[in-house]
Amino acid sequence: MTDAQTPAGLLIDRVSKDLGGRTIVSDMQLEVHAGELTCLLGPSGCGKTTTLRMIGGFLQPDAGAILIDGSDISRLPPEKRPTAMVFQNYALWPHMTVFKNVSFGLRLRKLPKAEIRERVENVLELVGLTHHIHSYPARISGGEQQRVALARALVLEPKVLLLDEPLSNLDAKLRVRVREDIREIQQRIGITTIFVTHDQDEALSLSDRIAVMSGGRVEQYADPRTLYRHPATHFVASFVGAMNFYTGTLGGDGFRLAGGAQVPVDSLSSRTPGEYEIGVRPEDVTVSSNGDGGAEASVVREIQRGHYKELVLDVGGDEMRAFVAPDLPAVDRLRVRFSRGVLYRDGVLQEQSESPVAVR
Amino acid sequence: MVLPPVAVVAVFIGFPVGAAIAYTLGRAGGPNSTVALLAQRQHIVHHGVTTAAYREVLGNPHVRADLWATVWVTLVTIVVVVLLSWAIGLYLRLSDTRISRIVSALSVIPLFIPVVIASYAILTFYASQGFIKTLAYHLGWHSFPTLGYTLTAVAIGEIWVNVPFGVLMMSSGLNSVPNALIEAARDSGASLPRTVRSVLLPMNVIPTVIVATFTGIYVLGSFTVPYLTGPSAPNLMGVSMANFFSAFNQPQQAEVMAMIVFVLAVGIGTIYVWANVRASKRASITS
Repeated sequence: MTDAQTPAGLLIDRVSKDLGGRTIVSDMQLEVHAGELTCLLGPSGCGKTTTLRMIGGFLQPDAGAILIDGSDISRLPPEKRPTAMVFQNYALWPHMTVFKNVSFGLRLRKLPKAEIRERVENVLELVGLTHHIHSYPARISGGEQQRVALARALVLEPKVLLLDEPLSNLDAKLRVRVREDIREIQQRIGITTIFVTHDQDEALSLSDRIAVMSGGRVEQYADPRTLYRHPATHFVASFVGAMNFYTGTLGGDGFRLAGGAQVPVDSLSSRTPGEYEIGVRPEDVTVSSNGDGGAEASVVREIQRGHYKELVLDVGGDEMRAFVAPDLPAVDRLRVRFSRGVLYRDGVLQEQSESPVAVR
Repeated sequence: MVLPPVAVVAVFIGFPVGAAIAYTLGRAGGPNSTVALLAQRQHIVHHGVTTAAYREVLGNPHVRADLWATVWVTLVTIVVVVLLSWAIGLYLRLSDTRISRIVSALSVIPLFIPVVIASYAILTFYASQGFIKTLAYHLGWHSFPTLGYTLTAVAIGEIWVNVPFGVLMMSSGLNSVPNALIEAARDSGASLPRTVRSVLLPMNVIPTVIVATFTGIYVLGSFTVPYLTGPSAPNLMGVSMANFFSAFNQPQQAEVMAMIVFVLAVGIGTIYVWANVRASKRASITS
């Protein structure tokens, strides 16, 4: 399985885990290259945190193996694994200063005092917290606590860094800043990183690759662009980004929605006529007030989103959402076409390898 | 708003304590006049105060032996109760099995058994014809010591009575430490014993101090356990006090002994207050 040029930093090989009589992770296969940041993305209960805890050693897989740099670590206790975890609530020890928190692992390894001091100072400089070296965790802000937790993990120079929804307790603005910090630090030191989140925005903006999980299985494992443009399953398409879904028939003159409207499509994942479910991103719904050849639509609602405008449309009885330019003049009726659509049958993407084809 | 409780404390606790202190210092008038009418071997002054009663009590070798017995049993009980509470509390915190749940339920059972019944049970268990001795005899250990009516039996009884409270206290303290803090320590490379030492222990100083001080004060003032399971002499101060008060009809000496026990309890109470003040100072830094 391992790529000869970039050996897997981490390999999750057919891992399963049952908890309380329920299968949480089922036959999971995932390969993370060295230096890569991979997000495990999915809704609550999809098994992403359980997977992370198995990598960290806090849970034992029932079946399968976890390998880091080729060696099986599945049966090692957490303290013997070359991994370091950043916990959701930071888990800083409240009775220790920032210095003591960060240096704890180094002191356990009985390094010389001068070296401990130097490494702690270096890592605190990396996360920009040198001025808080003697503060207690409760005296610093949530974002700073998060960076201390990151420093505490990084100072041990682990082979794999594990982040368990580390931004979920931060406010929206801080979250964006800290996630950029994390990405920047991760790239600078080139550490293999697994990042668990249920926030698709976070996953799309941080990751080299994203594993979308559902019901204990990986639905799709791909880079953010592929995931967004070619979601392999209906679940991925609906979980990552906004998507309009319609069942209907693909024919020579466009896609006929169940409500009867005939919508022309410029580009499709497959051109074979037949019954499908079509997924169309709101930004791929093209509207025009004077155009011809599009399906007729009436505007139900306009929602200002700042740098774009969201239109809620009624297309022959089907609701459709479209993202348009914010300065588009308000009208009651307009015509729509799909600039791009992806087709699903039984929830699975129907894709042809040739370049997408226009259907009018 | 605070006046009613202060008044209740003043009338029902402050006034009797004040009267008792005056009596031990030789003042037999006022509220002490009735008891002084009947008591023997009193040291009375009509002007100023006298420490004659204290000198007599502390000069009595039997009382001194009782005092040392009290200190010994108290210290042993504190140490064993703290260790047992920590051990059981830790086991319950770190293990979630059926056995641990059974242990958890068993450990608080002594709370629901009256002390007098428990004391008799302990006595018969360790008596010269008791279960332990019989068992030792059958196993061929004929010289096994009889523990009934010894200070060891008293210590065992005190431990038995105090462990449930200790376990409840330690469990609640240990359970308030989030799992993530323990896992973070393991993740940093700490073994379980090191995690206990570096995370659980420093985060549970206050429950430990509460268990130690409350146990200490309970044992200092206990009567039933030493009276039923202990030797005639030396025994704990509680038993001695009762003897001096009723059997010997020397209430002044009994109250002097109560003052001595009170001073010991104040010493323990000071540790408790000091630990709490220190913790609240720390809390203002850490939260």
